[in-house]
Amino acid sequence: MDATLVDAVSKVDTAFKFIFGVSFIILFLITAVTLYFLFRYSKKRNPVPAQIEGNLVAEIIWIIVPCIIVGAMFWYGWVGYKALREAPANSYEVKCTARMWSWKFEYPNGKTSDKLYVPADTPIKVDLTSVDVIHSFYVAAFRVKMDTVPGMHTYVWFNSGEPAEYEIQCAEYCGVRHSYMLSKVVVVPKDEFDKWLNASASAEVPDEGEELLKKHGCFDCHTTDGTELVGPSFKGIYGRETVVVENGKEKTVKADDAYLEKSIIEPAADIVKGYEDMMPPFELTKEELGKIIGYFKGGGKPVAQPGAKGAEIAEREGCTGCHSVDGSELVGPSFKGLMDRKTAVTKDGKKMEVTASVEYIISSIKHPSEYVVDGFEPSMPEYETLSDDDIKALIEYISTLK
Amino acid sequence: MSSNSLSFWEDSGNGRTGIMAWLTTTDHKRIGLMYMYVILAMFIAGLCLGLAIRLELIAPGRTIMDAQTYNTVFTLHGVIMIFIVVIPSIPAAIGNLVLPIQLGAEDVAFPRLNLFSWYLYIGGTLLALVSLFTGGGAPDTGWTFYVPFSEFTTTNVSVAVIAVFILGFSSILTGLNFITTIHRLRAPGMTWTKIPLFTWSLYATGWIQVLATPVLGITVLLIFAERVLGVGLFDPNKGGDPILYQHLFWIYSHPAVYIMILPAMGVVSDIIPVFARKPIFGYKTIAFSSLMIAFAGSLVWAHHMFTSGMSDTAVLIFSLLTFVVAIPSAIKVFNWTATLYKGSITVDPPLLYALGFIFLFSVGGLTGLILGSAGTDIHVHDTYFVVSHFHYVIFGGTGFGMFAAAHYWLPKYYGRMYNKTVAKVAFYILFIGFNLLYFPLFIIGLEGMPRRYYDYLPQYQEGHVISTVGSWILAVGVIIMLVNLIRGFTKGEELKGRNPWGAATLEWTIPTPPPLLNFDKEPDTSRKPYDFQGVTPDE
Repeated sequence: MDATLVDAVSKVDTAFKFIFGVSFIILFLITAVTLYFLFRYSKKRNPVPAQIEGNLVAEIIWIIVPCIIVGAMFWYGWVGYKALREAPANSYEVKCTARMWSWKFEYPNGKTSDKLYVPADTPIKVDLTSVDVIHSFYVAAFRVKMDTVPGMHTYVWFNSGEPAEYEIQCAEYCGVRHSYMLSKVVVVPKDEFDKWLNASASAEVPDEGEELLKKHGCFDCHTTDGTELVGPSFKGIYGRETVVVENGKEKTVKADDAYLEKSIIEPAADIVKGYEDMMPPFELTKEELGKIIGYFKGGGKPVAQPGAKGAEIAEREGCTGCHSVDGSELVGPSFKGLMDRKTAVTKDGKKMEVTASVEYIISSIKHPSEYVVDGFEPSMPEYETLSDDDIKALIEYISTLK
Repeated sequence: MSSNSLSFWEDSGNGRTGIMAWLTTTDHKRIGLMYMYVILAMFIAGLCLGLAIRLELIAPGRTIMDAQTYNTVFTLHGVIMIFIVVIPSIPAAIGNLVLPIQLGAEDVAFPRLNLFSWYLYIGGTLLALVSLFTGGGAPDTGWTFYVPFSEFTTTNVSVAVIAVFILGFSSILTGLNFITTIHRLRAPGMTWTKIPLFTWSLYATGWIQVLATPVLGITVLLIFAERVLGVGLFDPNKGGDPILYQHLFWIYSHPAVYIMILPAMGVVSDIIPVFARKPIFGYKTIAFSSLMIAFAGSLVWAHHMFTSGMSDTAVLIFSLLTFVVAIPSAIKVFNWTATLYKGSITVDPPLLYALGFIFLFSVGGLTGLILGSAGTDIHVHDTYFVVSHFHYVIFGGTGFGMFAAAHYWLPKYYGRMYNKTVAKVAFYILFIGFNLLYFPLFIIGLEGMPRRYYDYLPQYQEGHVISTVGSWILAVGVIIMLVNLIRGFTKGEELKGRNPWGAATLEWTIPTPPPLLNFDKEPDTSRKPYDFQGVTPDE
């Protein structure tokens, strides 16, 4: 491994060892000398005190020697600090946004996560900012700490090293959930990281294969949940052993790439047993076919059960930092049973009762201070930047929490 | 004891009796005691809050309170201990009692201003208490009131910052009063090099109070303006700069720790020679180092901000200056130790507490080097390492300095002595409890335990448990010490002479307890403050 990569932590630790070592010696000497004097020059052993008012040489010595010592300490500390600040030019950059009380990491391809996933043995530079108050990004294992300041960008860098997990803690007091503003640095092998980065991106960006299937109306006949409509379900279709009828003869095939491609372009060639020959042939490019098959490989099941996407957004956007999903009260009202709940709120100083309709929840996400539920503080930041799709998913998720 | 003249206890000097004689007094000794009683009450309150914090942290998760309560408790612990207890402790209480007499004066330069300072102090304290029970609940910002959080929170921060503003003015006026007294009211023959080192330290402190505290006043007023008028100086949404607030806050609040520690250093400088029966080693160096600390200490504020996002150049400069300020503190410690050399030492309670100060302050000071060094500070900034360092310096330093001062000077003013054996036992319990309480916090701080955490990761629990047990032992030590002092001053043995310790400064040449105007004869300023030849303790 490149020696400069491990430098920062070891340089800081050298400064720690040097300062602690010297300090311990000084403390030990002062204490030992004091105790010796107390013993040797007690009134009993030394009834007549000497009359010494000072000693210029001694004092000059103990002015100059500490100057040299602290000069050295300063230098070690500064060397360590510089190593912490000088991010290598080839660092992998991740953007981090802090908010009460969660971390959001954004990768170069637009993918976001609530934990910081990084490739192993790579210098990582994290660009930091905050949307509300000052937080501080602290990873003790890498000796890095930097405040995230609203309206400003700061950074830390570290070398990720071996695959492992490290704690991220918020180190600048930021309110009631400060001590729960935790996350992890997850260092994974490079190839795994790339896989994660691209695979998970599909959860964010709508899957292109799925878009194509939608566009061509495939879902009108093929379900994604295993139920039968006109054609076989897409659920688990990839790699499935299927009995087909070819020219009147039955045979078992494995639904591999070639089979699936052929079934789209020439559906009549092999008809799955038990189904009618109804599907029209589709003219698709090789690339489009690849995307659709890619979607099938992903299981072909719906993105997940209802609310899964919303749950992910709630986690990523930090909603669950304040709103529980199990009915317990954290900072804000619980999501559990929120939908259509009758709630006492205060608007513009007036108390009223509202029903938590979809419109109410949307407005509460975008402009939380308009209606404040009784018994809670108006401390929620405005989430105006959430896309409509994300809000829709969140509401779907909330409505599943009965 | 001169039984002919009335002591300041009997002679109010304003023709009133009972409580009104105290509330309208301009006597520096009565005002000093009035400060001390309020400080004692608030110290006990702050101590209880501290114990509650420790108890909550004995285990992860909820132990005795919820997160919001915890946040208000540590905020109150900080605000009470810093602004209401530690800053006025030695200067306002002991300083008022001792400073004029050490100079050979009858009172401070502005006695009525002195009383006004006390009323400001009481007003600020009451307002701080009001902020707990009114508005949107007790403040939850920490004692640093960092923006933008202090602008967003709905708790009663506005009232609390006004309380701090008023307390600040009390401190400014006390500093001004002391500086003027030292310049103008020294007895004939009391040259600058004969001023006792305690008073020297208050001189240096006074300048910090006068020059730095107004910055705090302005800063907290700006917070008030932000919250009430929405000015937007610090709010990034309005184009403000939250880091500007941090600069303004620390321009006061770092020098403020020297307001806290310098007087305690003065106490130790006065006590050690008396019990070593030997002149202080390097009088001029110690006096000058107090001024150096006051000066250099005003230039290091941004070492609290190495992780704030300010420029690397600023980090370089402030780290370097921080190491510079370590030098005068080191000189003092070496000089104190050298004073013991070839002395004739009696380990009475004041010396014991002063030695406790030296050890605990040294630990606090040396760990401060870790915090001054830029690279290492990044790791331990805002962790329990800082919490521990700060308590070693301020509790181990100023706190033990205050305890030493109380054991040294108060018998003079009450005319009675406490039980010395109990005082020593209390010291050892305190000392053990203290180290058990704070030392583990260095370790978990180094391991990455952030401060102001209501809940924590399980790997830090061991340190927290030891620390909490230490807090109980410490509390026992404090109780024994205070009960012993209070019993001593109400029922203890009466002092027979003027000079129970055999000290050479002027306050020990006057009757016990002192009369209203202090001196029953012209102060004798011929003797140097630490020349003990021919001076013996009055048995």
